[in-house]
Amino acid sequence: MMARAPFRATLLTWLVAMFSLVMAMSASSQSLSVQPLKIAGTVSSADWEAYRSRFVEDSGRVVDTANGNISHSEGQGYGLLLALAASDRRSFEQIWSFTFTELLIRDDGLAVWKWDPEAKPRVTDRNNATDGDLLIAYALAKAGEVWQEPRYTTAAQKIARAIGKNTFGRSGRSLILLPGANGFGAEDRPDGPVVNLSYWVFEAFPVMAALAPEYEWNRVWRDGVLLLQQATTGRVRLPADWLSLRSGLQPKPADGFPPEFGYNSLRIPLYLLRAGMIDLEWLRALKQRWSAENEGVAVVNVVTGQIRERLTDQGYAVLHAALACALDGTPVPAALRAFEPSLYYPSTLYLLAKSLLGEKYTQCVSSAAP
Amino acid sequence: MNAEIARLRALYPNWTPPSDLSQLSAGGAAAPPDPIIERLWNLYREDRIAEVRAAIAERQASDPNWKPPEELVTALETVEARRRLVNASDSGQWQTVLSVATESPSLLTCTNVDVLWRVAEAFARTDQPARTRDVYTYLLTNCANPAERLATLQKALTLLPEQQVADLLQFERRTGESPDDFSSVRDELARRRVERASLDSKVTASAEDLAAVERLIRNTNEAGPVMTLGWYNYHHGNPARALELFKTALDRNGGAKAAEGYAMSLRALERLTDAEAFAYEWRERAPENMKIYLDIATALLSQDPPPRLDARVVGRIVPVVTAQRFPDGAQALGWYSYNTQQIRTARDWFRTALGWKPEDEPSAYGLALSTQRLNERAAFNAIVAQWRGRSERIADLADTANPGSGRRSAPVQPRAEMDAAPRPAVPRQVTVERVEVEQPLVRTEEGVRVRQTQARSVLGRSCAMTRNPAGLSGDAALTRGWCLMEINRPLEAVAAFDQAIATGSNRAREEAAYGKSLAYLRKNLTSEAAVAAAEAPQTRTRQVELGASILTQRALAAYRDKRYVETLLALSERARLVPEQNDLLLIRGWSYFNLGRYKDAKQVFRAVQRTGYSEEASVGLNAIREATDQVSQ
Repeated sequence: MMARAPFRATLLTWLVAMFSLVMAMSASSQSLSVQPLKIAGTVSSADWEAYRSRFVEDSGRVVDTANGNISHSEGQGYGLLLALAASDRRSFEQIWSFTFTELLIRDDGLAVWKWDPEAKPRVTDRNNATDGDLLIAYALAKAGEVWQEPRYTTAAQKIARAIGKNTFGRSGRSLILLPGANGFGAEDRPDGPVVNLSYWVFEAFPVMAALAPEYEWNRVWRDGVLLLQQATTGRVRLPADWLSLRSGLQPKPADGFPPEFGYNSLRIPLYLLRAGMIDLEWLRALKQRWSAENEGVAVVNVVTGQIRERLTDQGYAVLHAALACALDGTPVPAALRAFEPSLYYPSTLYLLAKSLLGEKYTQCVSSAAP
Repeated sequence: MNAEIARLRALYPNWTPPSDLSQLSAGGAAAPPDPIIERLWNLYREDRIAEVRAAIAERQASDPNWKPPEELVTALETVEARRRLVNASDSGQWQTVLSVATESPSLLTCTNVDVLWRVAEAFARTDQPARTRDVYTYLLTNCANPAERLATLQKALTLLPEQQVADLLQFERRTGESPDDFSSVRDELARRRVERASLDSKVTASAEDLAAVERLIRNTNEAGPVMTLGWYNYHHGNPARALELFKTALDRNGGAKAAEGYAMSLRALERLTDAEAFAYEWRERAPENMKIYLDIATALLSQDPPPRLDARVVGRIVPVVTAQRFPDGAQALGWYSYNTQQIRTARDWFRTALGWKPEDEPSAYGLALSTQRLNERAAFNAIVAQWRGRSERIADLADTANPGSGRRSAPVQPRAEMDAAPRPAVPRQVTVERVEVEQPLVRTEEGVRVRQTQARSVLGRSCAMTRNPAGLSGDAALTRGWCLMEINRPLEAVAAFDQAIATGSNRAREEAAYGKSLAYLRKNLTSEAAVAAAEAPQTRTRQVELGASILTQRALAAYRDKRYVETLLALSERARLVPEQNDLLLIRGWSYFNLGRYKDAKQVFRAVQRTGYSEEASVGLNAIREATDQVSQ
């Protein structure tokens, strides 16, 4: 492991350069690139303790308190990432132990996505969710590097290869990230392929590319950004959570899902900010839409533009605050500075945003800021 | 045996004889150099594996040089491997099961028989049965627990070909402290051989195997082995014994499958009437039971010579054939009607059969014959035109027919030769020389009225004295029948009408059958009325009239007996003949209500109310409201 580190560092630098270069060549005039995050040490132990004591069991299971106390691969991935952000090696190991023994059991090396404490066996749906796999692999890779733990790096690499092998799909000339290894492709559904743009955890792509360079992470990353641009050209300028790519370049809301910019897609701007991809015109429009004078953060019907649900929890409000900070340097309002954990999902978004602000935008959260 | 172990070792090169994990943990606890070590072992014993991992990580974070004891690491890895293997196996992730086993060969010991079983299954599920057998062989060679050894054989029964299971029986330990008893496995293999033979009349089971199944039947209370032997007998020329066995199976709650065997045995014994009655009761239980009922009913109708069936039987076959749209049954009803001189009914059934199965030549032939008999020229010509090229006998019928003569003479009893095959019988040669022409309706009805008037006025009460009608002529018997009806003695009227049917002219027979039906209806003997109506061809109007009356009474009787489905069936049949009046609509509404079909009930009660205020309909609507409120609570 030690012997490989210098090589990895070089490769990573090169990859990051490649990721930005390609974007400059794309049709868009915007220049985008992934800026690596440090992550470790960006969440205070008090905030993390408030999260951990509510949502992480002794077994290492991250509990989705709004969904029948089930667990999922995504939650385990977030738990790992936040434990790393809090530099809590103990909790990281605990969450990994559960993830490894209970979820990482698929023949293809991906994680089963859902674990239900009320069911027997606990795994009732053996499908994977690619964002969960990405988050787990990313957290493991970062932790392996920070803590010099080869077990984590090896596991991250296995998952990265499994993602590349099983979830990359084609749509016309695009290379896309399928939401699951099964069931979303062109041959699986009449409106397939179907994608979920919030499954592109952009910051993870260069890291995955270093772990499994035999797969075209760079293209998937780039085509994800292009898809996002295509999906936000409509009147409402918001992508639906689930998009059908059946008709070439114009993504449409997928069958069987509400045509909504919903809980899934809320994460897209957060992932863009975390990856440092802020030069995207859409983010500016979204910041405008989300401001208090306009409609605020909400679940919106992407066809009619109607609001179905306004989201006022701290974890959603901080998404707008982070946008305003990153784009305009607006300080984060005082009401959002102290963590008030509620449910698993908004609490997770809150800490992910706060971790980013703590690492890259301290001026927006420093006590000197108004 | 050594070869098998060698094979397993080849499979898992790192495999070494098991080291007992409990010894490891005891060793760890024996001399704790560090209090954290003891705490870790305690957590490990409590199966709190994530916390052991967490504590180790925490300690290492503060003290990078600290290392957990090697035994603890091994123990943790083994437990984690077992968890992953079990979870993967529970989710059918067989490759993961096999790769975990390969990476953790220390799991593959007699202390983890469950793991060995799961690995064996993973091999079987990935098409490597030889490896599955290797694992079982390893287990039977090395592991001592007799219960686990027997369970191993039982697992093998579900995953391996029988010959391989039989080969594993050689490892049975007959001596020692706890000898094996694999006889249940031997019996199961015997039962399977008999089961296979039971479905194939060309395969004979050995006496030994049959004896094993007999033993199973005696020693258990299960229906399964009884049915196996039942089918064996059924398919090996012993339906009488099969019938006994299926009876036993039914007593043992063998359910629909046993009932199917019982019905098939009755049919094989040519006890078609019993078979029909029995199969009728079971028809709704499973699609197979419905199929055998329809087949039996078809066979019953198609017997040669044509049987005289209880009208109740025909009456219950009809709605089933209709609901199931079973063309062979419709065809059989066609021939049955034809052979009992109900030519119009026959024509309708043949037409129905063709509607369900347009390529059914026998039904087309039946339709041609019926339309010819009824002198329905256009219909006859249409069917001939359609089938001439495909059916020689239909073409012949058109060529040899003597069409157009309207002259009347005694109708010739058609003689149908039936196939003996289990297929619905098909008349091969039917000679119909004359064409029957229906008499104009008015004249017939007029005749009846005249006679009824005569009976009332002239003969008056002269029939009141009981007298055997046997010696009477047809016409005199008919007059006496109407007379007895007039003074409301319907059962005696039936005897008189019978005499008229036996001795009278065609006209007299027709009228007598009508009278007899009315007599039975008056006594509420619906089924008898239906039989009587079938005794001689009736005019359309009378058919409708009798049919509607019979169905009304049938519906009311069913409703009184709370048989609501049958009530609705009878009402629907009746509604096809005549419009449904309000009192029967209410019966329909309440039947729906009692069946919990509130939406239908509501519609009916509303319809009644639309014709004018009806208290009964209001009561019905209120009852629905109450019932549905309860449901939604």
